[in-house]
Amino acid sequence: MARTAGETNRKKLHSYYDYSLLFLTLFLVCFGLVMIYSTSSYNAQRLYGDATYYLSKQALLGGAGILIMLFVSKVDYRAYISKTPLIRIKPVTILYFLCILLQIAVIIFGEETKGAKRWLQIGSISFQPSELSKIAVILMTAYIVQLAPRRLDKIWGFIRVVFIIAPLLLLVISENFSTGLIIGIIMVAICFVASKKKAYFILSGLVMGALASLMIFFVDFRSDRVDAWINVETHEKGYQILQGLYAIASGGVFGKGLGESMQKLGFIPESHNDMIFSVICEELGLFGAVALILLFILLLWRIFIIAINAPDLFGGLVATGVLAHIASQVLINIAVVTSTIPSTGIPLPFISYGGSSLMVILFEIGIVLSISNQIKAQR
Amino acid sequence: MARNRSFNKRNILIVVVVILLVTMVLTGRLVYLMIFKSEYYAAKAQELHERERPIKAKRGSIYDINGVEIATNKPVCTISVIHSQIEEPEKVIEVLSRELGLSEEKVRKRVEKRSSIERIKSNVQKEVADRIREYKLKGVMVDEDYKRYYPYDSLASKVIGFTGSDNQGVIGLEVKYEEYLKGINGTILTLTTAYGVEIENAAEDRIEPQPGNDLYISLDVNIQKYAEQASYKVLESKSANNVKLIVMNPQNGQLYAMVNAPEFNLNDPYTLINEIANDYVGETISDEKLNELLNGMWRNACISDTYEPGSAFKIVTTTAALEEGVLNLTDRFFCPGHKKVEDRIIRCHKAGGHGSQSFVDGINNSCNPVFIEVGARLGAENTYKYYERLGLFSKTGVDLPGEANSIMHKLDIIGAVELATMSFGQSFQITPLQLLTAASAAINGGTLVTPHFGIEVRTPDGRVVKTFDYKTTENVISAETSETMKQLLESVVSDGTGKRAYLPGFRVGGKTATSEKLPRRTGKYISSFIGFAPADDPQVIAIVLIDEPVGIYYGGTIAAPVIADLFDNILPYLGIEEKYTEQELKDYDIGTFEVPNFVGKTKNEMKDLLKIYDFGDIYPTGDGDIVIEQFPLPGEKVNRNSALVLYYE
Repeated sequence: MARTAGETNRKKLHSYYDYSLLFLTLFLVCFGLVMIYSTSSYNAQRLYGDATYYLSKQALLGGAGILIMLFVSKVDYRAYISKTPLIRIKPVTILYFLCILLQIAVIIFGEETKGAKRWLQIGSISFQPSELSKIAVILMTAYIVQLAPRRLDKIWGFIRVVFIIAPLLLLVISENFSTGLIIGIIMVAICFVASKKKAYFILSGLVMGALASLMIFFVDFRSDRVDAWINVETHEKGYQILQGLYAIASGGVFGKGLGESMQKLGFIPESHNDMIFSVICEELGLFGAVALILLFILLLWRIFIIAINAPDLFGGLVATGVLAHIASQVLINIAVVTSTIPSTGIPLPFISYGGSSLMVILFEIGIVLSISNQIKAQR
Repeated sequence: MARNRSFNKRNILIVVVVILLVTMVLTGRLVYLMIFKSEYYAAKAQELHERERPIKAKRGSIYDINGVEIATNKPVCTISVIHSQIEEPEKVIEVLSRELGLSEEKVRKRVEKRSSIERIKSNVQKEVADRIREYKLKGVMVDEDYKRYYPYDSLASKVIGFTGSDNQGVIGLEVKYEEYLKGINGTILTLTTAYGVEIENAAEDRIEPQPGNDLYISLDVNIQKYAEQASYKVLESKSANNVKLIVMNPQNGQLYAMVNAPEFNLNDPYTLINEIANDYVGETISDEKLNELLNGMWRNACISDTYEPGSAFKIVTTTAALEEGVLNLTDRFFCPGHKKVEDRIIRCHKAGGHGSQSFVDGINNSCNPVFIEVGARLGAENTYKYYERLGLFSKTGVDLPGEANSIMHKLDIIGAVELATMSFGQSFQITPLQLLTAASAAINGGTLVTPHFGIEVRTPDGRVVKTFDYKTTENVISAETSETMKQLLESVVSDGTGKRAYLPGFRVGGKTATSEKLPRRTGKYISSFIGFAPADDPQVIAIVLIDEPVGIYYGGTIAAPVIADLFDNILPYLGIEEKYTEQELKDYDIGTFEVPNFVGKTKNEMKDLLKIYDFGDIYPTGDGDIVIEQFPLPGEKVNRNSALVLYYE
């Protein structure tokens, strides 16, 4: 916001920028890089002869992500729902349909790894469209809801939102259940915040729960995971989780020290990915793990503050969406790693190896920072 | 644009509260895992990470009766390379191929192989390994290890035995005393990655190995050497198949020597000795055949093979008859050259017969008809009673693996013919050691001893942890009978068929035997002799068996001298002094005299002087004519026939 010399003596409205959130984000990204180096150096050396193979890739994308974040934070978030000057279409609509196209593309051209198509190969960059879909869903849901927030007071208003998001949601679920779950949570969270009446949420929550458990128990591929979860020490598919438990438990209170993990030496497959939290526990102990959780809580708290202070409902809902996104991923990831719920592949935000995930989250933090930038604070 | 209402804010707070609740649950779960389940999972993880690497325990040594080491360990080294640590591959290849005598390409292949650790060569001599260590090459590992080593190579090979690749005993005493010798292996627990690669600098848990204990045996290296010399001499001169020789202390059963010539090299037990390999020159031996031949080579025939003892068994028959009181030394017998038993005619070895003779003459002549009659007087049941008492129905209990037992008739099928043949050692089989043990009882006052090698077990620092006791049965025969047996057997050597075992100065007793091998009439014999000394107080008893000698095969002719040769060497060694009788001094020119002073005498004078004195060999040296020095020195007392050295100038 521009200031003029004449305003100095009055109570002034300052444009606000949430530096706490920015620094928390930067700290988490850096901490993530340290842990990626710690967890991946052994495997990188073994497979590529270069201990920094994963670290340098992640650092590069992380750096790019931070630049994108800083740029996005300076763009007014309301621009996403105003018509672009040239083609007279709102960016949020473009993004939404782009994501649908990309999800279709991934089903047709996707790279198959471990029985699921999740990756699009563009040149030398492989990219996970489902990550981008998360932004699309946050923005789209918030946009639809804020158009007529009173409708959400009735269940039909909610169902209307679900119908609009459904095409993308179904496409995502068809290729990646875990991401679909996250997207569903984001959507529900935004609707929940916008609605004044809650009874139908409890009802639909039960219905969703029933549907989810049907999926979990009756689709072969997933009921195996439940078996593995129940018999983690004996089931052959429980291997990865069991190795994670070994790592967590052998950390004790203060851990073995940074870089001293034994389990990362090939015992936990791809320990720099979804299982990275277990190695953090092993190396930094309960102390380090709780500290990390507190950092996440702090980060979420900042987003919460921004959400409730957002200048308009759209900003508040978008911030809520980001909050729901990060919180659900952190909680589900930790729950999976500690074998609290059946295993499902969700990366730990900021920390786990994976460019698409990191870039998308940094993009979202950028939007939240941009919302914070629109808060008029009194000095 | 819609406003952000207060209920929206409250709703966000609800979301955050839900998040916080879930976070608390998960933190609780973490606390549970990392504090309460920590030990459980950490122990499991540790198990997964650790790899046990055994450290070989040092095997105990075997010492002879004088404390001479006859089986021990030699430090050897294993040379290996760790690919990732090598800094100068070319130098490593060059040094290793030169020092280890391996081809360069072979070393190169292993050095350049991408593996965690690659063995280049094992069983490398310590000196070579030390030299390699001196180069301080990065990535080259020198691991020390022990290899079983036998300082005397083939000495008593079939008795001592050897060890296999895991340092476990394969034959002989090495097997029998495995539990004392082997020690307890230690372990190194190292941490490894999931791919089994050891992690460097990780703290190692180490359980130290416990070395095995040392075994002290009654074998005497010197006696064994004398016995082997005597055996090889007759083995070669008679082109025999093999020669077995056992030397024992008849009073307590301690075995001093056990020879199975030809022996094999304990440091190279898997190579066939020439005596066997020569039969297969130019043939390729299948693995199965090789195995069979090796087993044959390793076989301790002294205890594992049975034979018909022949006339030496007359010791047992005589002992039994004397003890039972059916025989008096003065009893007279008549030998017409044969004896008819039922429908069979059994011949005496002397075609014309020995005519009328006393029993003493009968045993001196080893006359079969005499013993047929003695056997008949005893009867089958009494015969077996004494066989039993003298240990002929059971294994001797010697502390060696693979002992065989005797093969005897069933008591109820023994007729007159069987009884007759048994009386002179035919129609049944026993092991040489069984005969030696029975004969010992006959001459040691009537005690049946257990022949054995093992005396005691000591820790490496010399503390005795186990002393072996062996079963002895006293009074299996009476002392009087034993006394008579000693006299009879001494007379066999001094006046009878065993006279080639006669040693002036020593009182030797014994009995000869010539056993025809089965099947009969193939001209294959085992010549044997069993002898002991001194005859009045036996300190040593020995038996020799010459298997399939070529040419003369009479035990009295070829086997008795082997024992004489042996006793001549070992009796003085055992501290048994010569005592010559008047007759012997005269007959064998034995006695001492004082050496006169020859210094200053001329060659011609010496010629006459040497006729007066009883010197043996004379060794003159120097070119002169006058003696300037002499050995032995003047005034010394020397035996007759001693050598004399003279220096002329």
